[in-house]
Amino acid sequence: MAPLGDGSDAAEEAIAGQLVNRPISTVVIVIAMQTEALPLVEKFQLVEDSESPFPKGVPWVRYYGTYKELNINLIWPGKDPSLGVDSVGTISASLVTYASICALQPDLIINAGTCGGFKAKGASISDVFVASEVAFHDRRIPIPVFDVYGVGLRQTFPTPNLLKEINLKAGKLSTGDSLDMSPQDEASIIANDATVKDMEGAAVAYVADLMKVPAIFVKAVTDIVDGEKPTAEEFLQNLATVTATLCLSVTQIIDFISGKCLSEL
Amino acid sequence: MAPHGDGSNAAEEAIAAQLEKRPISTVVIIIAMQTEALPLVDTFQLVEDRDSVFPKDAPWLWYHGIYRDLNINLIWPGKDPTLGIDSVGTISASLVTYASICALQPDLIINAGTSGGFKAKGASIGDVFLASEVAFHDRRIPIPVFDLYGVGLRQAFPTPNLLKELNLKAGKLSTGDSLEMSSQDEATIFANDATVKDMEGAAVAYVADMLKVPTIFIKAVTDIVDGGKPTAEEFLQNLATVTAALGQSITQVIDFINGKSLSEL
Repeated sequence: MAPLGDGSDAAEEAIAGQLVNRPISTVVIVIAMQTEALPLVEKFQLVEDSESPFPKGVPWVRYYGTYKELNINLIWPGKDPSLGVDSVGTISASLVTYASICALQPDLIINAGTCGGFKAKGASISDVFVASEVAFHDRRIPIPVFDVYGVGLRQTFPTPNLLKEINLKAGKLSTGDSLDMSPQDEASIIANDATVKDMEGAAVAYVADLMKVPAIFVKAVTDIVDGEKPTAEEFLQNLATVTATLCLSVTQIIDFISGKCLSEL
Repeated sequence: MAPHGDGSNAAEEAIAAQLEKRPISTVVIIIAMQTEALPLVDTFQLVEDRDSVFPKDAPWLWYHGIYRDLNINLIWPGKDPTLGIDSVGTISASLVTYASICALQPDLIINAGTSGGFKAKGASIGDVFLASEVAFHDRRIPIPVFDLYGVGLRQAFPTPNLLKELNLKAGKLSTGDSLEMSSQDEATIFANDATVKDMEGAAVAYVADMLKVPTIFIKAVTDIVDGGKPTAEEFLQNLATVTAALGQSITQVIDFINGKSLSEL
């Protein structure tokens, strides 16, 4: 998301212009599942914030630390207090993105995680994609303009140098709250021209855009949606190995980002 | 939602019990659409707050005022900054619920709005329902326990006296981010045994439960989902008249609540 909002006046644009040219200092990485998060917590030697910046009662966890020139914050929405499973999906993702922006004022948000991939669009298991744009596929409101709102298409913050330097694939990301894919969802995903499918991206994008924080999306493929195997099964089978790959890619991205300003990405 | 959380210790439970017996002081009413909100702003003579409790980039609006013995806060997520239409749906609803609880610490939340109704379950246009329970119908995650998390079934805060006194209908509410209904959505709504269908309720319930704020849901029927007319058309046709009926019901609910404690509802 470009940091300039609609209706910014000249002074705000000048400030935003300066920020784009100042080295990135604070990064927030939003990760939905503990399995996806822990390898990165270990890699960057992050510690859990016992004095959480979040209200009492929310399960969200902040891991933080300094790494090279960056203040890294890894935010995991935690286990559901009643059911004990990772708080996946768009609602948790939007809440932690909002709360993290308010508490930490990041220069950049990275939403990282696993995803389904479409082999018809060139995706394979363990591929790591940087999303070029994100959209929802399960918010169908057939009233003019509300329909566009439902889809919530957004461009991600452009990172041409990052893509060139770290041989990551680029593709469109489609988000929905279901792990499975109904025929209606499939039709919307095709209309979104998506290569990868997740459960958080477009929600993080919505909040980041609202709050004017640049955001990028790094997604590693655990299952082939248009393949033969049932999604849940393939996802669970590949989760451990693919999160290791995801960790490597995010590390490379963080190494690339360190010392650079937004306009150099 | 009952205010006692899992793992509350004896002291917390004692405090919560006292709170339940103290007259309700601060109410937050969450309403997704301007058309639904403005009649109430008028009725309760609420004032829009310029120095908002919300961040300046968020489009959310806070109307507040004193009505009899209550601090009334009406929260509307506002128009989408890019597209100019009401910020409907679960993400906006969860964000404003979270932000309102943090800023205003309400004793009670009322999520009010329009809904679709199922005639097979006894709903008619203009009916006003008080939800007995809420659940999602568009979050299908076919992995054990994640499936329950996706459905997100929650009981509304019990208000037997309110129901008796105001002659409101009671029914189960099912929430999803689409105005229309796919066959998968329909199957899940049927499994949820819902009488009414909306786009925010279960999201408000999720956040309120997490932060332990009692919540009730008041939904007025604008369209019959299992009827002959297309949803969008029927909804738009009836929106104005039904929001008037909704406004009247909410006024009665507020009048009933005034001076009472949570345990008297």
